[in-house]
Amino acid sequence: MFKKILIANRGEIALRIIRACKEMGIRTVAAHSTADANSLPVRMADQAVCIGPGEASKSYLRIPALISAAEVTSCDAVHPGYGFLSENAGFAEVCGECNITFIGPSPESIRLMGNKSVARETAVAAGVPVVPGSDGPVESDEAALSSAARIEYPVILKASAGGGGRGMRIVHEESELLNSLKLVQTEAGAAFGDKTIYMEKYVTTPRHIEIQVLGDKHGNIVHLFERDCSIQRRHQKMIEEAPSGALDPEIRKKMTIAALSLARHIQYHSAGTFEFLLDSKKNFYFMEMNTRVQVEHPVTEMITDVDIIKEQIKVAFGLPLSFKQEDVSIFGHAIECRVNAEDPEKFIPSIGRIEELHLPGGPGVRIDSAIFQGYKIPSYYDSMIAKIIVHAHTRDEAIHRMRRALGEFHLSGMKTTVPLLSKIMYSEEFTKGDVSTRFIEDFLAKQKAASVHPK
Amino acid sequence: MDLEEVKKLIKIVEKSGIKEIEIEEDGKKIRISKGDGEVGQMQMGYAPVQHHMIPQAPSNAPSEAPKAEVDEKKYHDVTSQMVGTFYRAPSEDAAPFVKEGDVISAGQTLCIIEAMKLMNEIESDVSGRIVKIIPDNGAPVEFGEVLFKVEPV
Repeated sequence: MFKKILIANRGEIALRIIRACKEMGIRTVAAHSTADANSLPVRMADQAVCIGPGEASKSYLRIPALISAAEVTSCDAVHPGYGFLSENAGFAEVCGECNITFIGPSPESIRLMGNKSVARETAVAAGVPVVPGSDGPVESDEAALSSAARIEYPVILKASAGGGGRGMRIVHEESELLNSLKLVQTEAGAAFGDKTIYMEKYVTTPRHIEIQVLGDKHGNIVHLFERDCSIQRRHQKMIEEAPSGALDPEIRKKMTIAALSLARHIQYHSAGTFEFLLDSKKNFYFMEMNTRVQVEHPVTEMITDVDIIKEQIKVAFGLPLSFKQEDVSIFGHAIECRVNAEDPEKFIPSIGRIEELHLPGGPGVRIDSAIFQGYKIPSYYDSMIAKIIVHAHTRDEAIHRMRRALGEFHLSGMKTTVPLLSKIMYSEEFTKGDVSTRFIEDFLAKQKAASVHPK
Repeated sequence: MDLEEVKKLIKIVEKSGIKEIEIEEDGKKIRISKGDGEVGQMQMGYAPVQHHMIPQAPSNAPSEAPKAEVDEKKYHDVTSQMVGTFYRAPSEDAAPFVKEGDVISAGQTLCIIEAMKLMNEIESDVSGRIVKIIPDNGAPVEFGEVLFKVEPV
């Protein structure tokens, strides 16, 4: 097994990886910026190396600093976590050249799935359904008009280089199309330096369903069922659960088969996630693949009892997966709430020092977080401060458990999104399970209306 | 010395009037001292980070450090701008760029930091006299680590 792993990340995921390593008897080195010098992962790792100043571009995104840190501390592997360099094929390649194992897929897999239109073509080649679209970039106004007529309105225009909700526009009728196309092209050119646009059918009230897979370097690949991540605001997930109430055994089988065939098609050998849209008529379409561990991986761990990080480390070393497909089944129901240091109404980051802190506990509650009393949240990074995960026999029990856990959460010194998460957990809409990716938008609009016209 | 012997020693110290005992045997040193009733007091929260990047090569004069630290504030710190390996000379058999006591000018090369097989020359950002060179030759250094203490002139 690896002797020592460099953690090229920060916050809760750095801590999550350190925890897995400790249990596996692997030593850890926390690579950190000056802003994270007093962070929990730095304290918990066996060693720590400061790699640069607070700005991520000069520390967590600096490949030479990370490689040098791994070399001077004699690490034989690097775990990139999520975000930062986790889906950077160049980083994976440099690690390989320096004889440091990149704990993730091959640079080829990252490259293949990192480009949206290539990923789409690959999915089509593997026989996986994709949202009907322009089949390649929209080259001209005429091409745009004829593609839209073929796939039927509403359509969505997307910048090929875009992501995270930027560089896209929904078009409801033909008269809006050409203007919108020009706007998106200008936006994409300004934001990403690439004006390439493609078109897709806009699925109106879909669910976001993703399939977790795990592969090894011996050709074994398994799925760990689905996660339902429909509760998101501006393409940022807020609440995730597993299993999804929208999948019956038949559709689950179809989706997992699609994910596995695509994974096999690209000879994938790490933890990865295939994201799909599922419409109200149970049609599913491949959206994209994430070639890394995801923020919401704990809900899958809770219902399958598989430690995704440990498996990821083992397969990166070259060991075969420690279980087979028939060994895993869904046990109970898990929900994760992402707690952000944000104003729960205006969503403005709330930066400060944590004065008082009490984290929830008790049966079936798991907290993945790197905060502590007295911790000052650095302004350089994202605002997620904790993940509250609950596990119970049924969805209903899990919701009740999450309500209790959110009630136990106490933090003073800044605002968090806990009040909003709690409102959602108590809402009839969420409890009924009738959700789509529009949930938050509708929910917030209703809240606003209720506060303007109190009953 | 095995565990049983240590336990015996603890008992002896407990019963005796002595407060502390130190024994050295085969290069291993053990010290047993009676606390002042503070044993068992739990410290909540987290202690400041103690561990540094790499266990430093044993320095033979750890007790000498304070003498240079007395006038700490008047010295300028030249810090490392990258993670890497610290070298005092351009090659193994060459003379070091600078020695303690040398008078240097701003822009003068002080050392090399090797990162990813690249030799990066580190220049002084002030003119002055080198009071202390902190890392040992060949030691790994991290971002922000103090390399030289310079007395500005």
